[in-house]
Amino acid sequence: MVELLQYAKRRADALRGNSAAETTYDAKPGTHLQLWLLVFAVVFPIAVAVIVSTKQTGVVTSLGDLLPGSYAVENYREALVDYQFGRFMWNSLAMSLVIVVGKLVVSVFAAMAIVYYRVPYKDLVFLFILFTLLLPVPVRFIPLFQLMNDLGWSNTILAITVPYIASATTVFILRQHFLSIPTSIVETAKLDGVGPLRFMLFVLLPMSKGVLVGVSIIMFVYAWNQYLWPLIIIDSEANQVAQVGLQLLQGDVQGGQLSWSLVMAGSTLTLLPPLLLMIVFRKPLLETFSIQQK
Amino acid sequence: MSTREIFDSRIESGLLLLPTLLVSLVFLYYPTALAIRTSFFDSSFGQGDEFVGLKNYVTLLTDSGYHSSLLLSVLFAAVVVVGVIAVSLYLTFLIHEVDTGQGLYLISVIWPYALPPAVGALVFLFIVHPTLGVLTGPIEALGVDVDWFNNGPQAFVVVALAAIWKQIGYNVIFMIAAMNNVPNTLTETAELDGVTGLRRLVSVYVPIMTPTLFFLVIINTIYAFFSTFAFVDLLTSGGPSNATNILIFDLYQEGFSFFNFGVASAKSVVLFLLVGVLMFVQFRVTDEYSYYGA
Repeated sequence: MVELLQYAKRRADALRGNSAAETTYDAKPGTHLQLWLLVFAVVFPIAVAVIVSTKQTGVVTSLGDLLPGSYAVENYREALVDYQFGRFMWNSLAMSLVIVVGKLVVSVFAAMAIVYYRVPYKDLVFLFILFTLLLPVPVRFIPLFQLMNDLGWSNTILAITVPYIASATTVFILRQHFLSIPTSIVETAKLDGVGPLRFMLFVLLPMSKGVLVGVSIIMFVYAWNQYLWPLIIIDSEANQVAQVGLQLLQGDVQGGQLSWSLVMAGSTLTLLPPLLLMIVFRKPLLETFSIQQK
Repeated sequence: MSTREIFDSRIESGLLLLPTLLVSLVFLYYPTALAIRTSFFDSSFGQGDEFVGLKNYVTLLTDSGYHSSLLLSVLFAAVVVVGVIAVSLYLTFLIHEVDTGQGLYLISVIWPYALPPAVGALVFLFIVHPTLGVLTGPIEALGVDVDWFNNGPQAFVVVALAAIWKQIGYNVIFMIAAMNNVPNTLTETAELDGVTGLRRLVSVYVPIMTPTLFFLVIINTIYAFFSTFAFVDLLTSGGPSNATNILIFDLYQEGFSFFNFGVASAKSVVLFLLVGVLMFVQFRVTDEYSYYGA
């Protein structure tokens, strides 16, 4: 991680410059102990979920019951196949990928026009895009629901993807990044007579790999974790996404058939895709966040 | 800036901007306009429109249920924002202080950024379930009768804790970057002056991190108001007796349990104004701090 590297470097510098002062902020064992306790608290709920997903009934009423069971394969199979959770996961994946790819393409186009074209009213257009930050899903899901009904898109993948394709955040991050690409490179491209398409493919995109990966992860996590909008607009089990489908794993709650081990298996499955992506791509993700704040 | 503008075709730039502008117009601006329009109509199921002027807004002004929901949301946001900032700041400080294992500590506490709220809610439901929860026994041993299905304040605390837990990751990501930007010489000077431990955090780091902390206060407020829907829906459904019926859940019920689209649209407009005020404040204050050396 970039912060860590910088930090390590500064520490190394400090060591060279003044090793006496260095000893004063050596971590005390107490700091590690506190960190351990807090990390434990942050991880504990998910650890419980994973453990319960391996047990037969999932009834865990005391801390002593927190030993892994041997029903993991059976539970995950039952959730994925018998309760169609595989289907929900697939729907979530399709939704998230369409949103990520769509947003990425459309936002690269928009940011390129805003940074690299000399045309009138450009600032106004940028403001028009930025203003949509004021219009998150929660303030417009009521009319959006009516609009989707009018369009006949209810209960389709179009309804849960297309409204997300325009992204002020992504355009903003890409614009900031494009503005940080040295002008000398841009001017060289112009002198070489490079057209817009080749400029995008062979200059802009190769110089933006890190930030493109970073925004993709941000967009994927955002899309995958959507709950309210799919809950409203998707009303068939076949088209449902994992976030909303989780409840269906609860089974017959009123009849006392609540199967916690299945719910926790589903929860673990739903957490895995965004979590793995975040861990694998943490470096570009953190770098991209540092652009967003500027 | 001017040297970056190497292209000047209006048609090309128009085509590049078209997808973003079109989607923004149809799925962001138009629904917002529709919500404003519908808020002046008596509209159930989005049909049978009858113009009623400001009647829906008058309803909101005189509805004591709505007033309590608004107050509750403000209280909820305050608890979540203070909780998230305090926990995250302390965690960040501890990670900043240790010499070894920083990378591992960091990923162990920022992972909730990827946590789907629906998963967080179900896991919380399970671990503090009044009869089945694995933590219920230990908590009751401390003398608290865990009864949050019936006890309003307890339900409020459970939803707030779940919401705080999920938001720690995002906050630590920004805080660690800001804290690592504090000049090393400052830390050394503070140490030599005997400003150690927590006092260094409060009187040296926090003032320098103010721009980042302010940004996070606004982001966390918006999060508490709007992105905590899944927690409320899955943990308490706004109950018991509306003890957790924050604005976003209240709006959802108005629209999709009672199908009062007119009143629901007026409530959407209120939320829109709320986001607007929050964003405006952030914009103004960030502007002020931009000379502060973030």
